[in-house]
Amino acid sequence: MKSLSLGSRVHLLIGLCLALLLLAGWAASGPHPLPSLAWSLGGASVLLLGLALYTAQRILKALDRLTGHLTAAAAGNLDSRITGIKAGAATGELAWAINDLLDQQEAYFREVYSAFEHATRGQTFRLAMDQGLHGAFKEAMVRVNISVESLGQVQMMALKEKLISKLTDLNSGNLLTNLKSIQEYLMNMTQEMSIVGQLSKETAGDAEASRATIEGLVVDLNRVAEMAVASDAQVRLLHEKSDEIHQIVQVITDVADRTNLLALNAAIEAAHAGDAGKGFAVVAEEVRTLSENTKDAAASIAKTLRTFGQATTQMISDSEQVKALAEGSRMAVAEFRTRVLKFAGSATTSFTQMSRAQDLSFATLVKVDHFLYKQNGYRVIHQGTTSPEARAVQADHRSCRLGTWYYEGQGAELFSHVPSYVRLEAPHADVHRNVHEAVAQLNGAWERNPATQSLIYAHFEAAERASETVMATIDRMVEERHRLG
Amino acid sequence: MVKRPLPTQQERVLGEDDFIVSKTDLKGIITYGNRHFIQMSGYSERELLGTPHSILRHPDMPRVVFRLLWDTIQAKREICAYVKNLAKDGSFYWVFANITPSFDRAGDLIGYYSVRRKPRPEAVASISEVYQALLAAERKAGDGQEGMKASLALLNQTLERKGISYEEFVFGL
Repeated sequence: MKSLSLGSRVHLLIGLCLALLLLAGWAASGPHPLPSLAWSLGGASVLLLGLALYTAQRILKALDRLTGHLTAAAAGNLDSRITGIKAGAATGELAWAINDLLDQQEAYFREVYSAFEHATRGQTFRLAMDQGLHGAFKEAMVRVNISVESLGQVQMMALKEKLISKLTDLNSGNLLTNLKSIQEYLMNMTQEMSIVGQLSKETAGDAEASRATIEGLVVDLNRVAEMAVASDAQVRLLHEKSDEIHQIVQVITDVADRTNLLALNAAIEAAHAGDAGKGFAVVAEEVRTLSENTKDAAASIAKTLRTFGQATTQMISDSEQVKALAEGSRMAVAEFRTRVLKFAGSATTSFTQMSRAQDLSFATLVKVDHFLYKQNGYRVIHQGTTSPEARAVQADHRSCRLGTWYYEGQGAELFSHVPSYVRLEAPHADVHRNVHEAVAQLNGAWERNPATQSLIYAHFEAAERASETVMATIDRMVEERHRLG
Repeated sequence: MVKRPLPTQQERVLGEDDFIVSKTDLKGIITYGNRHFIQMSGYSERELLGTPHSILRHPDMPRVVFRLLWDTIQAKREICAYVKNLAKDGSFYWVFANITPSFDRAGDLIGYYSVRRKPRPEAVASISEVYQALLAAERKAGDGQEGMKASLALLNQTLERKGISYEEFVFGL
């Protein structure tokens, strides 16, 4: 009886009851009435009826319990289950069927919830599992998963975009700072260059003034030369006049000699005293001629001496002018010397300014190289780990351009003696290490993993911080080199 | 109190279209099991109800898996795991278990709900190797906290090398 179904059990009991009643009726009123049998059959049928009522009561109670579970389920509470189901109980199968239905429903809702919950975090690997679900539940799951997958894709894109936009913010913020730093450098360079330009202009002015001075000097010196030539002519004239005087003096000497001789002859003739008047008259004539000649010579000497005096005056005047010219030349040369010294000073200042401008331009170049390195790091997010950008960021702090400059190039050559030089290495290495670690994260499933994305962001942020120190250290290196000389 | 049987090499296989459903309270005491649970475990409903779910633990399972399982569901999160279960007659059966927390209307945690499905044989082959390594690590370090620490470290190390989370790893098998 225990294996019978709910309905057939009650039907059987009522059927039996009716059969016994009929039998009792037949026993009481049939052709051979048997009252005792009729009573016992009647009693049995009453007992059976009682059993039927009891069974129906129990079934109704069980049904009440099942109804309670179903009402709860209908109200949205899928958690309750029927337990302690007696094997072979009339409502057992019904209870298990209700449990199965609730299991299907609860599993369905929990799967849908889990799958969507993962998808909203961009985790598309957690699809709703339809295994073990039946019929409409299983079919619905296929459609649910289509939605889950597209939601997951959207979420993944959103997460990816979120990181990219965060990184873009980080990047553009720093890019602006970097550009400002370059701008500042360029402005400083322009200023240095303008100082150099001003100095060159002054130098050119000095050179022009020097040229004018030199030209004046040359004119003066030419005049000195001309005067020297003129002096020479005067001296020659003087010399000729001296000869003339010499000849005149000779003539006077001759005249004196001959006068002396004539005086001697006159003395002799006077001694003879012959025709005393005759001979003396001749001598007197000769003496008169000589005195004429002497008079002419004296006049000639006076004339020559006047000319000589004129030449001497000229010579004195000339020599004074030469003196003045020489003095002028001396002053011009002194001024020229001053200008040359100033020119040399300007040239030294120009050199210092030029060298500072050159350092600033080197520093700017390595800064730009460093910015480019970081930009490539950011670009890998968009371009992927097999892109040229990804290859570019593989460079470490020794092999990148800044590194080459620092360890082997102009950086080592010009800056290794300044205190800040050694302080550049650590932050620079930090930039590269952080960019490398950020890029390494891109090999995994970073697009749907917020934790990985946070890590990537943190590495880029650390790289930017280290990069700020790199920039400041380069600035200090340039400053220290020019302060220390 | 039901005693745990000695394991045998006999395997039971869950039906492709069936799933085992069970519920426990916050301490892991069974409060409900469907007919597939009863059938696969070999215990009667009466034996299962009120008994700790750990009655089904197979000695081949590394303890770290259950540690991870409890840590996750106590944090009110879902967990999925491949589990080798021990039936009453000592035979074993592999399941892909999904355990989720149950809440009352006030949002308080009231128990756990577990659905266990038939796993793909390839997944079982892969996870068996991982579990053997974890189990070896646990036994080598002794059975106490040290063993747990060693196998947890090994599990994290394995996941780190693959660069994926535990969930991704499990669903990728």
